[in-house]
Amino acid sequence: MQKFSFNRRLVIIIVCLIVSFALMTVSVTIRNKKSTPPLIQQFGNDIVGLVDRVVALPANGLSGSVSSISELLNTYQENQQLKQQVSELAQTKVRDQTLAKENKQLKKELKLNASLTDYTAVSAAVITRTPSSWQNQVVINKGSAAGVQKNMPVMSGSGLIGRIAEVNKTNSKVELITDNNDSANRFAVQITTKSGTTVNGVLSGYKSTTGQITMDNITTKAKLSKGDKVVTSGLGGVTPKGLYVGTVAKASGSDYGLATKLYITPATDLSSLNVVTVAVTKQ
Amino acid sequence: MYRLSKLRFGFPIGLFLLLLLDGSISQSFSVQLFHYPSAMVSHLVVLWLVCGAIFEADQGEAYPMPLAVWAAIAGAVFDLYYTGIFGVYVFVFPVVIYVTRRLVLYIRPNFLSGLLIYFIDITIVEALGYLASRAIHLTTMSGSSFLVNTLGPTLAFNLAMFVILYFPIRWVYNWLK
Repeated sequence: MQKFSFNRRLVIIIVCLIVSFALMTVSVTIRNKKSTPPLIQQFGNDIVGLVDRVVALPANGLSGSVSSISELLNTYQENQQLKQQVSELAQTKVRDQTLAKENKQLKKELKLNASLTDYTAVSAAVITRTPSSWQNQVVINKGSAAGVQKNMPVMSGSGLIGRIAEVNKTNSKVELITDNNDSANRFAVQITTKSGTTVNGVLSGYKSTTGQITMDNITTKAKLSKGDKVVTSGLGGVTPKGLYVGTVAKASGSDYGLATKLYITPATDLSSLNVVTVAVTKQ
Repeated sequence: MYRLSKLRFGFPIGLFLLLLLDGSISQSFSVQLFHYPSAMVSHLVVLWLVCGAIFEADQGEAYPMPLAVWAAIAGAVFDLYYTGIFGVYVFVFPVVIYVTRRLVLYIRPNFLSGLLIYFIDITIVEALGYLASRAIHLTTMSGSSFLVNTLGPTLAFNLAMFVILYFPIRWVYNWLK
């Protein structure tokens, strides 16, 4: 009798393990292949997201008021610096407007409808974050109803922070570039060096000890120097051209010494995200 | 008796509240909790489940709760809403309930032995979650850096939470009963 119950327990454990692995494999496959999760999962996520908004409201409000008090302390100094920047920005903005207008006219003449730089920005608030140490994901409050689609790039502040990993009707999950899984941070980017040559490449990972994005396998002779700006190149997929990623921090030989490996300082603080922007491109 | 008590509705409400609060805490205090390279992961939902099992054992047979079922439901919501990978925590949370129920047979549960049990439970949750993530290539973290950067800080954070919240949760549980 004792032996029988032991065997039964062993069978239950093995069956549970097999079912667990099967379920995980299926959900990873769906996540990689399909543009949306199954309908029932979407529905469940929408309902949980709705409840979560009510729960998250006081929690996020509390942390907001705490941070606003701490920010009050160094407001004066910041104000001085910002005033200076604003006057420069006004100049840039006017010039940007003029150029955008000219660009539009020129495109019209060429009968060019959508180019790589065109996108509309959809701003969204962060509801919650995955409580996990390796899955760096946040849930935002815009979904397919607002035009968000899988793999679209997401920005916060001035720079790129990640891509859409899963889309539901009213919320979606964003995988941050700090996430180091197989598909998280492969963005096609380009760097324009001081001498004017353009270097193309793909982001390859995130180095958590220094907080820098890495970019491997660059086989160019162009001299990359510290401070060169890294932007998305718009090649291969839904990412538009010209989203700011960060600046080059260090260039060194790669692990095998044949190519160059770059370390990029991200443009935004990736640990505190409250409002993000999804770059929605027309397809 | 359980069928008549407020616990029947109070327990799942508390469970889902703490489940969602885990995410809110991770979001609000992300600067402090996810200070690279180390990460403290909040597991308040596990605290609620383990406390349920401990207080249940304290009361004797009068209030048997369907804890494993609620644990599986909480795990399913966790998988679908937070991680997007179904099939990990939906099994891990019931395992935690099973282990806790076995342990309270041998150890008389009180505040200090509860701390010990919770230590074991958090280790199980994190270790199984890590093994599953390694198996499906969600992470490439090495075992030693998992122990140092994730398990250590997570245990510290969650045991602190246990110390703070044990008596409030016991009060809530006795009020609901």
